[in-house]
Order: sequence, then structure tokens, then C-alpha cells
Amino acid sequence: MQLIKITKKLGVASCALLQVPAAAVNAADSEWDIDTALLFYSESDSRVQAIEPAVYAGKNLGDDGERIDLRIVVDSLTGATPNGAHAISATNGAPQTFTTPSGNDSYTAVAGENPLDDTFLDTRVAVGADWTLPLDRLSRVKLGLNASNEYDYLSLGVSGSYIRDLNSKNTTLTASVAFNNDTYEPEGGIPTALTPMRAAGTGINRDGSDDDKTITDFLIGVTQVVSRDTLIELNYSFGLSDGYLTDPFKIVSVVDATGALADTGTFAPGTDNLPYVYENRPDSRQRNNLFFRVAHNLSDDVVHLSYRYFWDDWGISSNTLDLKYRFDMGQSYLQPHVRYYMQEEADFYRHNLTLDEFNAGSVTDISSDSRLMKFTTTTLGLKYGYALSKNSELSLRGEVMNQSFDDPGSARSEEETPDLDAIILNVAYSFVW
Amino acid sequence: MKKWYVLVLITFLSGCSSMGVEPWERDVLAKDSMQLVPDYFDNFYDEHIYFSKEASSGGQGVGGGGCGCN
Amino acid sequence: MNRCISFILFVFIFFAQNSFATPSQAPQINLPGIEGNVQLEKLKGKVVYLDFWASWCVPCKKSFPWLHEIKQSYADQGFEVIAVNLDKDRKLADEFLQVMDVNFMVAFDESGESASRYKLKGMPSSYLIGRDGKLYASHIGFREKDKAKLEQAIKKLLAK
Repeated sequence: MQLIKITKKLGVASCALLQVPAAAVNAADSEWDIDTALLFYSESDSRVQAIEPAVYAGKNLGDDGERIDLRIVVDSLTGATPNGAHAISATNGAPQTFTTPSGNDSYTAVAGENPLDDTFLDTRVAVGADWTLPLDRLSRVKLGLNASNEYDYLSLGVSGSYIRDLNSKNTTLTASVAFNNDTYEPEGGIPTALTPMRAAGTGINRDGSDDDKTITDFLIGVTQVVSRDTLIELNYSFGLSDGYLTDPFKIVSVVDATGALADTGTFAPGTDNLPYVYENRPDSRQRNNLFFRVAHNLSDDVVHLSYRYFWDDWGISSNTLDLKYRFDMGQSYLQPHVRYYMQEEADFYRHNLTLDEFNAGSVTDISSDSRLMKFTTTTLGLKYGYALSKNSELSLRGEVMNQSFDDPGSARSEEETPDLDAIILNVAYSFVW
Repeated sequence: MKKWYVLVLITFLSGCSSMGVEPWERDVLAKDSMQLVPDYFDNFYDEHIYFSKEASSGGQGVGGGGCGCN
Repeated sequence: MNRCISFILFVFIFFAQNSFATPSQAPQINLPGIEGNVQLEKLKGKVVYLDFWASWCVPCKKSFPWLHEIKQSYADQGFEVIAVNLDKDRKLADEFLQVMDVNFMVAFDESGESASRYKLKGMPSSYLIGRDGKLYASHIGFREKDKAKLEQAIKKLLAK
């Protein structure tokens, strides 16, 4: 059974680079703060399903502020993901046939069906550790290590932060830098970009056995106490990704002037070439984020609101708004959550590649990956938490997520990228040991 | 055009010195629910899910707030 | 721009003890206590360790056993401990005290006015007042490694 890199299905360890904040610190110096959690994620239409147990353990080393934070997360994924091609309407003809990443097997999508590749099942383990070392009463450094591994993928990263308090600790400045290196070695090797997908058993054009990418991230941030009830955060971050950024087994449909799948020339029946080419993305990407968050207390309730503006040099920009309101009910709480995300498409996103363009070799960067499209993600959730004791809590969270795509390149409505719906369930138990 | 966002950060900083509370007025800020990220794994899982389903990532990750003790 | 620079060049406070070269009279304390009023003036002739604490302050929890210890050790030499509580909710302070072994004076200042007069810079904060009622030293925070130094300072003042 061929395995596809899990990381593209549900994230890479590098996403944790600068984004893992401190967990709530309740334990006395001799004790560990422990958080355990289990995530269940499930997409509609037999797409991705994931189960993710996770454990966090943190401890103060002495009473000077020195601290160690450890975490381990296991991802177990099953299901299918879109391969980049689109559903073909009934009038366009026969089912579409695709070749699996190994090159040995094929799978199909009937008329009207969104093509999904389900030939993967994998488990990934990700670990991370942070060490906070105070320099004096008002400043500290935090060093982090993270690593994650699947059978064909290895991600390693280090990070360092300098944190400084000012104005009687009303203001806190943070400056961070992180480096990550990801190496990918898919079974059989990486397909040559922009070459046709070949029928099962006839051999995929391969570029080499492995490739890698390096990610460098910088962040500067300010946290400010505004009043007894209000805390705000403002960050700017810059990231540079360099190397192999393509999703190796994602394809782009090649169509003729009428919009039907190409069947002449290179793609003529009998040539062993299927009317799809492997995608190709630029080998560098510069990402920027401007992030603002406010935590505000209203009698016993707390509201968290955040806004993020993202932009990069691939033409993608996005706005994220996230709101959580915690209704304090004494020993328990109820917390509704809403998240709204809007993204613009990448410059090289295309619904299809035309036969003319393929023959001319005029397109060098192209992808039909729905994650690079213009879309909106709306998430609604509710969390219930119950304090079992002064230092322990059990909580249950359920969310529904919908992604709805803007697909102007599709000529027919059945070829449009369908909505993605998913449910997220997580249960968590935190305590002191 | 985008550079002015960074200027906002600097202007923000220079105004900071007049804002805030006295060290003994941090009772509310010391609450777990008033930390910038009160739910550790909620935030971790969400960042993880949206990283793999969307094209944007990052932006978070700072210290501050809390009781300010010691 | 100047504000920006002066802001960045903020002088940070060392966690080591801050001693006063020419000690001045310690600001007044006249606050309600557990039984009647706590008045600093009435303790002239004794060395006083004045500590500011709150229920939500984790290092304060650790300081209480030590306050109990030093009060016990030096009371017969004319030594007093006053722990001024700065909680806005008296109930939280009472809850905190219930699980503590308290053999010293506790005073309550919801308004934080006394902390203001002592120019308190961090929680917890402690001040050493001599037999003459003058302020001799101040200290921010409470850490294991500070105990010895603090005790030394107390002994020195008691010996004066």
C-alpha cells in the first residue's frame, strides 16, 4: 500500500515553530503541570479523519522563573484527499482514472465525483521542548526544539526568544527566531513537475529520491496591560521558506479548447499519459503576519478576540477573525467560539492547464490545490469545562468547520470545488502532579 | 504600503509607557482565563488544523500578562 | 522619538536588595487587622519586616512559612512582621490565611494606598524598618535564594 506524506494532510511540525505559548501554570515548584488531550477530526464525504492524542508536561526548575515545557503529539490519519483534478460532468464522459503515488495502482472518480486519493494511512509523532531561562527579574530567554517524523518525512527545528518586561511589567517585548528543516523522501521518489501522470504500471517520471526545505521565521511582539481587566498583544512576523515547496503528488488537469480533458498529442490514448500533470510551486516563499489579540474581563466572564492579516509573495493574503467568550459559571464554564477566515488565491493557482500552454511550456508554476484557492472558512464551536479541583479541569469541545470555495475557473458547476465540512471534537484533562 | 504596519508597532510601543496597572492590581490578569492563550491544546490543535487546511500560518507566540510576580 | 528612546532605555530594577543610603522615616501604616488596627507607629523600638502580599500571588504563598519562621526566631529580640494584604476581595485573603500558620500581624488594604506610599514595584515586596522607624531596605519578589540575605539584613538591624 502506497503511503502519501501525512504532513500535507494534517500539518507539519514546523507549524509549531513560534506558536506554542506557555500553558497555564498552576503547579508549585516541585510539581508538574500536565495537560492531556485527545482530538478527533473528521471531514465529510469519506475524506480525512484523524485521531490525535497529545500530552504536555511543564515544570518550574527552582523559583527563579526557569522552566521546562515538553509536549508529544501523535497523529493517526486515514481517509482521502483531493488530488487537484476536478469532478467531470456527466456530459464530458467516462470516469477519470489516476495513478497512485507508487506508480503501481490506479483509482478512479466517476462523473460528478470529486477525485480523491485514499491510498494513505499513516501515523506521525511530533515532540517539542522549551526551556525558559531568566536573565534577571525583567528578562528571559526561551530556547525550543521540535521534531516530527513519519516514515518518509522528517522535520527538525530550533527556536530562540528573548522576552523583556518594561513599565513595572505592564509591557512585555518578545523577539523570536526559528529555523526548521524538513526532508521528504517519498517511496519511489519525487515525480518530475509539469510532466504527465502516467498510467499505472508504466512508470512515473521521477526527479530524485528526496528533497528538502528550510524555513526561517522571525517574530517581534508587544504585550501590554491596558487596565486591570484588559490585556492586548500585537505581533509582526516574517517567514521565509526555501527549497522544495511543491506538493509532489498533486496534479493539474490538462484540457483542450472545449474544456474537455486533453486526448491529443502527448495525451493521446495509447501514449500511457493521463491528461494530468504534476504541479509545481516556486522554490521560495516570503510570508508576513500582523496579529492582534485582546483578552478582556467582564465581571467573571472573559472574552478573547484576535485578528490576523497575512500576506505573502505568492499573491495570497488572508484575514482571520477569532472570537471566544467564556461564560464563568463558578466551578464550570461554557465557551462559544467563532472563527472566520477569508483567503485570496495564489498567483499560480489555476483550475486547469490548457493543452496549448502545456505544448508551449509557457507555464512554470501551477497548482490546482484547493488550499491555494480563494475561499472562506467558517468555524463555530462550543466548549464546556469543569473544574474537578482547584488545580484540575476536564473539558469537552466540539466545533463544526466549513470551507466554501470561489471557483471562477470552472466552466461547469459540477466541476467546481465542493465545500469541505468537518467536525472537530476534543476532550482534555489537565492536572498537577 | 505594508511597511506602515511595522510603524504601528513602534508607535504603539512609545505610547505604552503611560498605560498599565500597579503591581498589586493584577488580580484579574493572574486568572487562568485571562492568559493570552488559556487553552493550551485547543490553540495547538486549531493552529495545526488550519495550517494544513489553509494557506496562512503563524503570527502568534509571545509572553506577557499574568500576575507579574517575582 | 525621545519618548521612544527613553522608553527603550528604561532602567530595570535589580532583584537584589535595595538599600537606602540616608534612610528616611517609613511611610505610615494604619490599617484594619484581624483583631483591631495595625499601626506601624506603635511598633517604634522594634525592627519591623513589612511584607505586601495578595492571594493571587504564587510566591506569596511560599513566603508565609518563612515569615512564620523569622517571627518565631527573632520576636524575643524586638522583631515584628506585618503582612499587608492587597486583595480587592477580602474573602480571597481570608481563604488564603485559613490554610496558613500565621503568628504575625496581618493588615488589610483593599485600596492599595499603603503600597502606593511605599512605591511598591512588584509582588510580593518587603521593607525593613529599624527601631527608629526609618526605612532601611526594600526587596522585590520572594525566592529561596533570597532568604539568607534577608535574614542577614534583619539580624544586622536587630543588632544596631
